[in-house]
Amino acid sequence: MKVPYGWMRQYTEIPVTAGELADRMVMHGTGVEGVEDQREAVQNVVVGKILTVRKHENSDHMVVCAVDVGEAEPLQIVTGAPNVHEGDLVPVAKVGAVLPGGVSIKKSKLRGVDSYGMCCSGPELGVPEALYPSVGDKGLLVFAEPHEPGEDVRPILGIDDAVLDFEILANRPDCLSVWGVAREAAATLGTSFKKPDIEVKTVPGKIADYVTIDVRDSTLCPRYCARVVKNVKIGPSPMWMRKALHAAGVRPINNIVDITNYVMLETGHPMHAFDLAKVRDAHIIVRRANEGETIVTLDGKERQLTPSMLMIADQQNATGIAGVMGGEESEITEGTATVLFEIAAFDRTSIRLTTRALGLRTEASGRYERGVCAATCREAADRACQLVNLLGAGEVIEDVYDCYPNPKPVPVIEASVERICKLIGIDVPGEEMARILTSLDMQASLSGDTLTVTPPAYREDMEQEADVAEEVLRIYGYDHIGSTLLRGETAPGVRSERIRIADKVAQILTAKGFSEIRTFSFISPRLIDKLSLAPDDARRDALRLINPLGEDTSVMRSTLAPSMLSTLALNQSRNNDAALLYEIGPAFQNHGRKAGELPHERPMLCVGAYGEAADFYFLRDAILEMLARFGVAAEVVPGGEPYHHPGRAATLTVKGEAIGTVGELHPDVMAAFELSRRPLIAEVDLERLAALRTRMEHVRELPRFPAVTRDLALVMDEKTTVGSVLAVLRRAGRPLLDEAEMFDIYRGAQLLPGKKSVAFSLSFRHPDRTLSDEEVKPVIDRMLSECEKQCGAKLRL
Amino acid sequence: MAFSDIQEQLRAIREEAEAQLQKVGDKPALDALKLKLLGKKGDLTALLRSMGQLLPEERPQAGQMINAVREELTGKLEEFDAKLRKLEQERKLEREAIDVTETRKRTPMGCIHPISLVQEELMRVFTSMGFDVVEGPEVELDLYNFELLNVPKNHPARDAQDTFYIEDSILLRSQTSPVQARTMLTKKPPIRIICPGRVYRADEVDATHSPVFHQMEGLVIDEDVTMADLKGTLDAFAKALYGEDVTTRFRPSFFPFTEPSAEVDLTCVNCHGKGCRVCKGTGWIEVLGAGMVNPKVLEMCGIDSKRYRGFAFGLGMERIAMLRYGITDMRLLYENDVRFLSQFRDD
Repeated sequence: MKVPYGWMRQYTEIPVTAGELADRMVMHGTGVEGVEDQREAVQNVVVGKILTVRKHENSDHMVVCAVDVGEAEPLQIVTGAPNVHEGDLVPVAKVGAVLPGGVSIKKSKLRGVDSYGMCCSGPELGVPEALYPSVGDKGLLVFAEPHEPGEDVRPILGIDDAVLDFEILANRPDCLSVWGVAREAAATLGTSFKKPDIEVKTVPGKIADYVTIDVRDSTLCPRYCARVVKNVKIGPSPMWMRKALHAAGVRPINNIVDITNYVMLETGHPMHAFDLAKVRDAHIIVRRANEGETIVTLDGKERQLTPSMLMIADQQNATGIAGVMGGEESEITEGTATVLFEIAAFDRTSIRLTTRALGLRTEASGRYERGVCAATCREAADRACQLVNLLGAGEVIEDVYDCYPNPKPVPVIEASVERICKLIGIDVPGEEMARILTSLDMQASLSGDTLTVTPPAYREDMEQEADVAEEVLRIYGYDHIGSTLLRGETAPGVRSERIRIADKVAQILTAKGFSEIRTFSFISPRLIDKLSLAPDDARRDALRLINPLGEDTSVMRSTLAPSMLSTLALNQSRNNDAALLYEIGPAFQNHGRKAGELPHERPMLCVGAYGEAADFYFLRDAILEMLARFGVAAEVVPGGEPYHHPGRAATLTVKGEAIGTVGELHPDVMAAFELSRRPLIAEVDLERLAALRTRMEHVRELPRFPAVTRDLALVMDEKTTVGSVLAVLRRAGRPLLDEAEMFDIYRGAQLLPGKKSVAFSLSFRHPDRTLSDEEVKPVIDRMLSECEKQCGAKLRL
Repeated sequence: MAFSDIQEQLRAIREEAEAQLQKVGDKPALDALKLKLLGKKGDLTALLRSMGQLLPEERPQAGQMINAVREELTGKLEEFDAKLRKLEQERKLEREAIDVTETRKRTPMGCIHPISLVQEELMRVFTSMGFDVVEGPEVELDLYNFELLNVPKNHPARDAQDTFYIEDSILLRSQTSPVQARTMLTKKPPIRIICPGRVYRADEVDATHSPVFHQMEGLVIDEDVTMADLKGTLDAFAKALYGEDVTTRFRPSFFPFTEPSAEVDLTCVNCHGKGCRVCKGTGWIEVLGAGMVNPKVLEMCGIDSKRYRGFAFGLGMERIAMLRYGITDMRLLYENDVRFLSQFRDD
C-alpha cells in the first residue's frame, strides 16, 4: 500500500526522514517494501519563460527558443514541440537534469544548433493530465498560473513527496489506511497521532425524501451508512487532493469520486457514490442474490449469481455486487446533481467467496475480504461530507441513514503482567505496558499484576493475553529479546525410522555411484499411461487434484517410475554420457480409498540408470547388495513389471513376496518417454524393507581348517537358469559344501546349438578337520546326479 | 711340491680371482667364477688335494692357509653377488615404472541432492539440541493443516498459501505445521521436535517459486519456555550452520499459529552483514518465521495453555540451499541434470 509521507505527517509529528521512518516501522510491526522519493525521479527542472521563438535553419518542425530560467542569461533551447509560444511558462530540464526512468539531460546539438536543456511535456515529467491538466503528450506542459522563472517545478506539479510502500500484515486491516499507518508511526516514534476534528456543515433535509434504503440481510451487511449531498457541482478536485491521490497510485477523476477514494485511502473504508437521479425509483435494496439471477458487470460480462452473494439492487434487479463492484447506471458523471455516499461493512467471508466464485477482484473487495470495521463507518461517512464542505462540492443533507442493528461488542482483555513477561522473556514494567497500549489507542489500566485492556473497535485482532503481549513487545522492541538456552533434557534427538532407512539407502547407493534426485510428487496422468500397465493395475487409479496448476501436475504419483524415466530422458537429451540416479519418496496409493480418507503414502526407492557401466546385472547386484546391508536376502525371480523388457527383468522376493523389481526398459516404453539409450529401472518397497530388516547377529568364527576347492563345468539348455542350478548344487552339497558360485559361461561351436556351459567354483569344508579327496568325491557325485536329474545339466567332458 | 709352492699358488689364485671378479658382469659369469675357484673341480680344491705331497708337519698350516683364502674368496663372491642382485632389482624396478599421470575411466561416488544435504545439516544441528525428527503425511486433512492451527475455513490467511485440494477436507499440506498439530494431539509435553518435509502451494514455476518445496519447522512445548529461548535456539542454529559471527534479528510479524510472531533475519552469509547484492544492501537475509505458539492452538490441540507455553519456527530449505550453494534458479533443484547434481558433497 502506497502512502505519501506528507499525508501521514498531517496527522503525526514525524521528526525523521521517510527512509528512517521506514526502518523504524519495520522493526515495530509495519512492513515497508520500499520508499520512493518523487524528488529523486525529477531533478533540476525549473520554470522557464519562453522569451523568443525563431525558426530552426535546418529543420521545418523544430524551433529555437530563448528561455529565461531565472539566470543571468537566457538559455538557448531547441524543441520540436508544436505548442511553443512566446511568454508561456513551461518546465525546463536544465543541463544535468534527471527525468523519470533515469534520463539525464546533456548539452546537445540538434541539426547543427546548440541546445542547453529541454522543454518538457507532462508525460516526460511523469505528470499525467489528471494530476496537472495541460495538453498531455500533445506538446509542452504550460503552467496555468504565474510563477517566477527558475522556480522548482516539483511543488507546482505535486511531485515533491516521498512515498512509502507499506506491506500490511494479514491481521491488521486497520493499517490499510493513512490513519492506520500514521497511528503506528506515532506509537513507533513515541510521538502522538491526531485525527482531524470532523465537523460537517449541513442543510436541513430528510434522507427519506431522497431515497429509500432497504437492508434485508444484516448478517452479510452488518452496517449500512448513507449520506446525501445535493446541489453537487462536479469539477476537478484541488491540487492537494490530486497530488495525494496520484502519489498513492490512484488516478484523480473529479471532486466527488476523488473524495470517495481519498476517504478510502485515509480511513480504510471503501465508499461508493451513487448518482441518485439514476437510481431507479430512488430505492436501494441490499439483499442476497436470487437463485439463477445474473448480472452484467462493468466489464460487460454476464455473471451467474448464487444466494450466498450479496447484491445492491433496485426493485427490479441487481445493479451492483456489494463490496465488489458498483453498477454502471448510477455512476457519477459531469451532470450529477445529487449524490448518495454509501459506507458499509460487509461480511468478509461472503465477499471472499463471491470474488472467488466470480473471479472478480477490486480494491474494495480486497479490503472487505481482509476486514472493514463496522464501528467506524459513520466516522468515514462524515469525513467524506466534511471534504464535500471543504471542496465546496455540494450541500450535505443533515439526516443520516445508518443501519447498524447489532454493534459488535468490544472485548475487555485481562492480562497478567507477570505472564506476559515470562512469555516474551523480558521484564517490562506494568506501567510501561499500559503506556504502550495507550499509545496504540487502547484503554489500559493497571491494578497490581492485572492489566485491563479495551482495544479500539477497529482492532478486531485483539482477543487474548497473547495479543496484548505482542503489542507490548513490538512497540517495546523485539531487539530487547535476550538469547537464552533451553533448559531440561540434553539427550540428543532421534530421527524417524523412515529417515534412518532413507539415510542408509543413500549411503549405500552413493557409494555405488548413484546420485539422488528430487522430482515433483504430482505428475501428468499421461505419464502413468505410458508405463503400459494392465488396465486394472491399481497404479492407474492415481489421486487427482481438484485445482492443479495444469494437467502436467494433476495427479499424485502412484509410482516413482515416470519421474525417474523423465529425468533419465532429460539427461539423455542433454547428451550426458551416463546417469546413475535414485529417488526416495512416497507413492500415493489411492486405489480403494474411501472419500474423506487419506491415501496410504508408501515410501519407495526408485533407481534408474543408463550408460556404459549400467547393465542389468550391475543394477540387480547393486540392489541386492543394498538389501543385504539391511540383512535382507532376496531371491531373484525372472519377470518384472509391464514396462520392463520381458526377458530382462526380475522380481526380488523375500519369503515368496515381492520387495522390488529390476529390469531393462521395454522398447515401447522407451519410445514413449523419448529415451534413445535403453535404461534400467528398479524399484524397492521401503516399507517392506523396514519390516524385513534384521539386526546383525554375532560374528561367525573363522574356519580353522582349509577348504577343498573344485571347479565344475556343466552343460545345460539355454533356458535353464543359473539360479536354479545353483540352488540344486547348494541343496545337494549339504552339509560339506561351503560356497558355490558361478564364474564363467561358455557358448559356442564346441557345444550343441541351444546349449551353454556354465562353470562353477565349489568349496567344501569341515569345521573340525581337513577334508580328504575321498570324502569330497561322493558329495560331488551326488551334486552332479541331482543337477542332471533336476536341471538336465551334465558335466562337460 | 714344497710349502712355498702352495703359498705361491694361493697368491696366484687370489690375484686371478680379483682380476676375474673385475670382469664379471652378471650372475652366470659370477657362478662360473665361483665354480672355477671354489667348486669340486675348482682351483682351491685342487690345491687342497695336492697337500698330500707336503711333509706331514706342514699340512695343518697349509690347510689353514687354503681355508682362509677359501673363506675370503667366498665372502667376496657373496658380496659381489648381493651387489649384482641389487643392481638387477634396480633395473627391474626401472623397467616397471609407470606414468602416474595417465588417466583411467573412474567410477565416482554418487552425490546427495542439495535439499537433502541441507536437511541433513539441519537435522544434525537440531538433534544435537535434543529435537526429535518427526514426519507426517503430505496429503493431509484440512483439520491439521489449517483448522487446528487457527486458520478456520475462509480465513484470509489461507490466501497467502494457495492450497491444492483433493477433496473438500483433504489437501496437499501447504506447510509442515500439521505434523506439529498431530504431535501435540498425541504426545504429552515436554515436546521438542523438528518436522522436515515436502509442502505444496499453487505457485507457478519460476526462478524463485515452485509448487513443490521443502520446509522444516520446529516446535517446543514446555512449562517455562520464553521468546528468549526461541531466540537462543535460533541463534545456536544460525551459528552452527553459518559460523560464530552470524546472529539473528527478530522483526514483528503475523502468523495465525503464533502470537507474538516474528520474521527472523540472519546476518547475511554472503557479506557477513556489510551489505551486498544477496541481502539487497541491508546486511540481513530473511530466513525464518517464528513465534510463541498461539494459546488458542495449544487449547485446540488439547494442551493446557495455562500450564504450558511453546515456540515454533519454520524455514524453507530451498532458500537455505540456494544461499548456501549460490544457486540462483530454483528450477535447477528439480531438473536433476547430472552435471548439476555431481557438484554436491557434504562438508
